[in-house]
Amino acid sequence: MSKKLIRYKGEQSISAVGYQGGTEIKMGKKHNESKMDRGISLLVSIILVFLFLGIIVFSVSHKISREMAASATQNLNESLDLIKCTIEAILNKEAEYQRLMAQGIAKMEEPEEYIRKYTRSDTMMKIALIRSGETEGVSSTGEVFTEEELDFSAGGTIDGLPVSQSYLNYMGTWAYCIKCPVVDEGREIASLYVEYVYDSFDKSLPEGFYNKKAMLYIMDAETERFVLKPKGMGERSAGHLNLTDFYRANDIQEDGLREEVEACLKENKNIMFYHDIRNKDSLSYMWSVNGGTLYLIGYVPIEAIQQEGRSVNQNILIVVVVMLIAFFLCCLLYYLNQRQQIKIRKEREAEREISNRRLAEALQAAQIASNSKTMFLSNMSHDIRTPMNAVLGFTTLLARDAENPEKVREYTKKIMASGQHLLSLINDILDVSKIESGKVVLNVEEFTLNDLVSSVDAIIRPMAAAREQKFFLEVTGVKHECLMGDETRINQILINLLSNSVKYTQTGGSIWLRIIGLKQRSGQYEHIRIEVEDNGYGMTPEYLETIFDAFTRAENSTTNKVQGTGLGMAITKNIIELMGGTIEVTSEVNKGSLFRVDLEFRIPEGQAHKRFWEEKGISRILVADADTEECENIQMLMGDVDVQADVVHSLEEALSLLQGHGHVQNEYHAAVLGGNISDTGVLQAVKGIREEVGDALPILVLAEHDEGGVEDVLRIKNTGVLMKPFFVSAFKEKITEMQAELMPSEQTGTDRKDSLDGLYFLAAEDNEINAEILREILTMEKAGCEIVENGQMAVERFKDSQEGEFDAILMDVQMPVMNGYDATRAIRALEREDARTIPIIAMTANAFAEDEKEALNAGMDVHLAKPIDIDLLKQVIRKYTKGE
Amino acid sequence: MNIFRKVDVRKLGMICIVGMASAVMAACGAKDGSENNLIVVESEQKQTVNLFSPMEKTEADVENVARSAADKTIMLAEEKLGVSVGYVTYTAEDYQDKTYDDVTLDRARNDMDDLYLLNPDTLRTLAEEGKLRDLSGLDCVKNLRDVVKAANVVDGKLVAIPQEVVAYGLFVNKDMFDKYGLALPETPEEFLECCRVFKENGIETPVGANRWWLETFVLAQAYADLYNGGNTEAEIAALNSGDSKYSDYMRPGFEFLQEMIDKEYVDADKALVSEAIEGEGEDFLSQKSPIVMAYWGAANTETAYGKTDFEMQVIGFPSRRGQMPVMPMTGFGVGINAEHGEDAMAVLDIMLSDEALQIYAETNRVISPSKNVEVECVDSLKPLNDRIQENVYVLGSNAGMDVEQWGNTCLIVRDLLGGATVDECMAEFDWLQEEALRKNR
Repeated sequence: MSKKLIRYKGEQSISAVGYQGGTEIKMGKKHNESKMDRGISLLVSIILVFLFLGIIVFSVSHKISREMAASATQNLNESLDLIKCTIEAILNKEAEYQRLMAQGIAKMEEPEEYIRKYTRSDTMMKIALIRSGETEGVSSTGEVFTEEELDFSAGGTIDGLPVSQSYLNYMGTWAYCIKCPVVDEGREIASLYVEYVYDSFDKSLPEGFYNKKAMLYIMDAETERFVLKPKGMGERSAGHLNLTDFYRANDIQEDGLREEVEACLKENKNIMFYHDIRNKDSLSYMWSVNGGTLYLIGYVPIEAIQQEGRSVNQNILIVVVVMLIAFFLCCLLYYLNQRQQIKIRKEREAEREISNRRLAEALQAAQIASNSKTMFLSNMSHDIRTPMNAVLGFTTLLARDAENPEKVREYTKKIMASGQHLLSLINDILDVSKIESGKVVLNVEEFTLNDLVSSVDAIIRPMAAAREQKFFLEVTGVKHECLMGDETRINQILINLLSNSVKYTQTGGSIWLRIIGLKQRSGQYEHIRIEVEDNGYGMTPEYLETIFDAFTRAENSTTNKVQGTGLGMAITKNIIELMGGTIEVTSEVNKGSLFRVDLEFRIPEGQAHKRFWEEKGISRILVADADTEECENIQMLMGDVDVQADVVHSLEEALSLLQGHGHVQNEYHAAVLGGNISDTGVLQAVKGIREEVGDALPILVLAEHDEGGVEDVLRIKNTGVLMKPFFVSAFKEKITEMQAELMPSEQTGTDRKDSLDGLYFLAAEDNEINAEILREILTMEKAGCEIVENGQMAVERFKDSQEGEFDAILMDVQMPVMNGYDATRAIRALEREDARTIPIIAMTANAFAEDEKEALNAGMDVHLAKPIDIDLLKQVIRKYTKGE
Repeated sequence: MNIFRKVDVRKLGMICIVGMASAVMAACGAKDGSENNLIVVESEQKQTVNLFSPMEKTEADVENVARSAADKTIMLAEEKLGVSVGYVTYTAEDYQDKTYDDVTLDRARNDMDDLYLLNPDTLRTLAEEGKLRDLSGLDCVKNLRDVVKAANVVDGKLVAIPQEVVAYGLFVNKDMFDKYGLALPETPEEFLECCRVFKENGIETPVGANRWWLETFVLAQAYADLYNGGNTEAEIAALNSGDSKYSDYMRPGFEFLQEMIDKEYVDADKALVSEAIEGEGEDFLSQKSPIVMAYWGAANTETAYGKTDFEMQVIGFPSRRGQMPVMPMTGFGVGINAEHGEDAMAVLDIMLSDEALQIYAETNRVISPSKNVEVECVDSLKPLNDRIQENVYVLGSNAGMDVEQWGNTCLIVRDLLGGATVDECMAEFDWLQEEALRKNR
């Protein structure tokens, strides 16, 4: 019901989460959509702002361009005007100078002589004079001069003087001629002709303008010939012949434009117009000079005249780009920051979710634990009450039947059993508590598999026998039987597993304990697998999942007759894991279970067990057993102690080896015979061997536990029985025993040895009942004691005692006034010789290893846990009082 | 990791901002002048060398390869010498104008310029007048082909050096020849036959001509044997001594030309007033005339015949010895009294160095006067080039002959075009020869 309820709650909870989840997803979607909307509107806003800014920047830059262009055009105007004025000034000066010359000539008596002797200058290349009324005259170059060579028909004048059309002069350069009347006393007596070259302008004109990008020609308006390209004007290689060539070269072919230009030229006007010249947007100009007799023709690329404007615009562009970059950098930083924030928020949310989930899990675990504990307490209550009930019930019966010794014995036996069960319950609980709190410390010591198996066998075999179960013990493949490990804990593992098997296997069932040596992973460690198998009730798969959890049991103890705390498997698993091993289980209901434990034990370095065989002179034995596997096992184990084991599988072979080849028989120092070696029985086989080899050879018969007829073998001299499985240590013990039997030995009565007769103890025990029990036990053992109530009194009593009055001090730990540890320290600190030597035995309910350690640290000799095991007590007392 | 990234981004941002700020400040910053004079000091005036050369009438957006090639070598010289070369140009507007050669003579005689690009006749005239410097001391001379040197030596002085060996040939419209099944002519007879076929097929003027280059026909026929007969020096010597007559050499060519005029294969009137390429080029390009004559570079120059809509081939002029290239020697000369004479000599030395001639030849795809420079010519020039490589050609001018050939022949051909008879023309040659003999005496 409760499970259903929980499940129902769980489902509700899940569905609630699902619903919430659904809502969250929808909300998440809405959230995302609204975020996207916000993002789009932000983007649109930014674009709008940028558009606005872009329009402003464009307008400003366009305005600047316009203004700069107008300014540049104005500048060009001024430059052309300047050039025009310069040329006109030159022309006027030339005319003025020529007038002066004419005046001078008018005064001369021999003007022709002056003309002939004239030497040309850079400007005036040639002068000539024709007297009025004549057609021919003289020239500075010597030849006869006539006006026919010159063309004044265009009617051009300079400062009122007629100027000819341009022509190529005798020097191969373009020239013009100014005609000036020579007037003497108001009468024109002659005409003075002076030839000037355009090259002379070059020196007075600027060396290019607009960074030499502007093109400039001087054109004779009448002939439209280009008569001079001043140096530095336009491209060096570019030259034009005349106006037509200029139009053609610069692709100025539009009729409208041409007509307009022609009209301007006719009217001696200036004209300036935009036109593409060699793929460059250019400003072309035609500038009238000297009233239109000459023209300045040329063009300048727009990029050259608007250089400043372009530079300003470029700077504006740079500023805009830099600001844009800065803006986008800010956006990027903001975006990265936001992303970081979101990431942190998400991480925090994730952490919170994980934390919530863990909390929920912890809560669930706590609830489960609480339930388990409740169940456990319920079980414990039942489990403790059951034996308690037996104890109390039988105590009542004991009181009633006190006179009937048989019943008393029976009742006390049952009380004892119940008490033992109670004790095991408490031990298990303590074990779990200790393991769970990590207080278990493994006590690694050397042990032998033989001792382990023997002790387990001694416990389990009777239990199995009581339930009419068969118990099989197999040891195979183990190379070293002497290993390092916590024997007690390994024992505990085996007992737990095996007692479970016994408990959960029906009467008449079978139980197997297999100890298998696996392939070693390291030469220093023996890898051992322990298998406990039964063909009992088995377990359901569901239970298998929780079998190693504490406080669980196959079934509720209240409904099952099987007793137990449900802690055994948990303890087992924890101990195995503490040892670095693994446990796994397979099971099937009604077919049985198989527990498989893998452990590794260190192989001890000592060679003591090897030395035994050397000392005894045993280096070769004969093994005769029909079972090949058993033979190999023995061979391997004996090999470990450097004893050669020859193996035969029949009696005949054994006899043959023992008899054969004269002295060879003496080489075998012992023989091991399997119970199955002969069809006639092992007794006959041993006898047969004895007949052949005599009594000197120790013969050991390897027998199964339930094998009959082996007792008779013991009657034959120097012959013993070894229980399977074969262990070297068991073999060694048997050899020792048999050799001792052969030698005359001192009779020592064990009874006397075990007895505490005549000993006298000082016991510190605050609990009266416990004190009484102790007193009774010691009395039963014919020993005496004096009991004090606390440590303080114990110290004082010991201080007052005679030396040797007490054989030992039995010290409780938890006592009023002074505890056992302090009392021990106080006693050890007394200035008497026996204070440091008297055995102090701790007898306490504090049964943990730490308690034992503290007791030893305080100066006690040994630590015994309550309840007192009388045999153990006796053993310990004997050890410390009689020095055994 | 994130922290590092964050730090990196911040650092990057800071670096960008600082970088931008520095760049802007550096760009906007101006050096504070410590002086009060705001005028930037002008760079020192470079020494100028004036070069007088012809100028082609230009077309919009058309590249003049030959001019570009010369410009490159001049720029190389300017760069190496630190001088500035100024261009002075002249081109006659029409036939009534003074010719380029006339103007060259005037300018050179009046020491107007430093460097002159001279045609063979002006070259000889000016050399004879002693107006040109001896260039034999220039470094570039040792790289020149012998034929170039021989053609430009007057009175033992090397007076001019060309940047290209100018070869004249017939530019023919191969498509039209193919159309009428005509093979390219080898001899004068074959040539006249081709003209006849063209004429019969409605081609009004099979041969496009101008007032300058018709002389190439005459020269090819006149001197094909003299230059390729293996007895060149003796024959020239005989001419110079008066033992043989120039008119005898010239007559077949003039008669051939007369026949062409008579049969109206050439429009004599038009030719007489036409400038080179200007007059006949349009008809040739529009495939009205299948044959014109021009110089090598015209095949590479867009302003001339560098780009045609038909397959053009350049072959030699017809002669008894087959197709005959005619190679007059032009060249750069330096005025004897040039204002910047030494600089002009240095500029010329660079312009005619192997490095410059390599640039020139690669740009203009012409035959280089340097024996160290070889470039592959365009396909259309291969027939002409093959003959030159076989050393089959006629020199259009030869300083070794006492009577200047290139200019005189041109003028006498013009007389023929103007209506003079062949005999009158021959008498002209005889007079020239007598004048030369008289001068020598």
